[in-house]
Amino acid sequence: MGALYAFASGPGVYLAFALFLAGLVVQGLRFYKLTRAKDPLALPPPPAGVVPPASPPARGAGAKKPLLDRLLAAAEAMGRPFDRILGTLCRTVAATHPVMTMLTVTFHALLFATPILLLAHNVLLAESAGFHLPSLPDSVADVMTVLFLLCGAAFLYRRVFLRRVRAITTPYDHFVLVVTLLPFFTGFLAYHQIGEYRTMIALHVVSGEAMLVLVPFTRLGHALFFFLYRFLLDGEYSFGQGRRAF
Amino acid sequence: MSEIQNPPVDRGQIERALARHKDRMKLYLSHCMHCTLCAESCFMYMSRDKDPQYMPSYKVINSVGVLYRKGPGIGRDDLQKMKGIVWRNCVLCTRCYCPVGVDVPAMIAFARGVLRSQGIHPDFDEQGAMESWL
Repeated sequence: MGALYAFASGPGVYLAFALFLAGLVVQGLRFYKLTRAKDPLALPPPPAGVVPPASPPARGAGAKKPLLDRLLAAAEAMGRPFDRILGTLCRTVAATHPVMTMLTVTFHALLFATPILLLAHNVLLAESAGFHLPSLPDSVADVMTVLFLLCGAAFLYRRVFLRRVRAITTPYDHFVLVVTLLPFFTGFLAYHQIGEYRTMIALHVVSGEAMLVLVPFTRLGHALFFFLYRFLLDGEYSFGQGRRAF
Repeated sequence: MSEIQNPPVDRGQIERALARHKDRMKLYLSHCMHCTLCAESCFMYMSRDKDPQYMPSYKVINSVGVLYRKGPGIGRDDLQKMKGIVWRNCVLCTRCYCPVGVDVPAMIAFARGVLRSQGIHPDFDEQGAMESWL
């Protein structure tokens, strides 16, 4: 374990980051090679301030308006930009799956924020590179880690118990989830000195590096491809200008 | 069924058909997170008691996914099963929404093309053909 830790915490870190960054560049270039430049679709801008009703109006006296309609009415009363933002959100998956949307936004935000803003990581960065990023108190990072693990547990619950998710779940999906959760779980155990510390911290470093290396080449690649697909590709749901097409 | 009605899979042709958009399709397949958030965007799913087999992700995984997993060695019975998925369970209305950005309609259209290359397609003139798809 000593030799493994020595490698993983030394050259392993540089190797993992190099493979991670090189992998992202290679995948990005591959995407550019596969696609071609395209003029953006010239669609007329949406009419200003108009938020169409989310569902057919309730009929009959005293009929209760759906929550979505009441939310939209409140947003419209607040004026721009609230009507636009909420109006748009209510027509996305945020309104169809509010719980899953909150879970996944929290999960992905914490996945990036926790390791980057962790004090211990920044101490190591300052020692080796001479600079560091802002960091959060350990107690805050601890809560963030637990929240992250709970979100992961909720994903696992969906995979195992929801019929629709189970219908398309493969062992690979579980593998990807474990790869993502393991660095956080082992880091949490190491920080709280649960189990043998040296083993736990070695597992933490190795699992973290494994995750980084796997990002560009596995399903975790959606970290990069989400932006390429949703911003660069031409399409109805594009967030960007859609200047490229397959 | 006779040999004429059920000829073996043309390996060379299916190989060429699969190679046409291989990189794009494999990228999409590898980036489908199996999250099922696309389900509600499919009117077939919504109008069929939320049966998982109508989810856009289910349809691409069990058509394009199977095509690439089995490759040119795929059997004709697999292709027949796929016919029901890509023509009966999907009308290619292109309204499906994927949070990651996987182009589901492009994948279904691709699967239809591969099936057509093997002479498998719906025959709307044939009596009872619609019922026998799945």
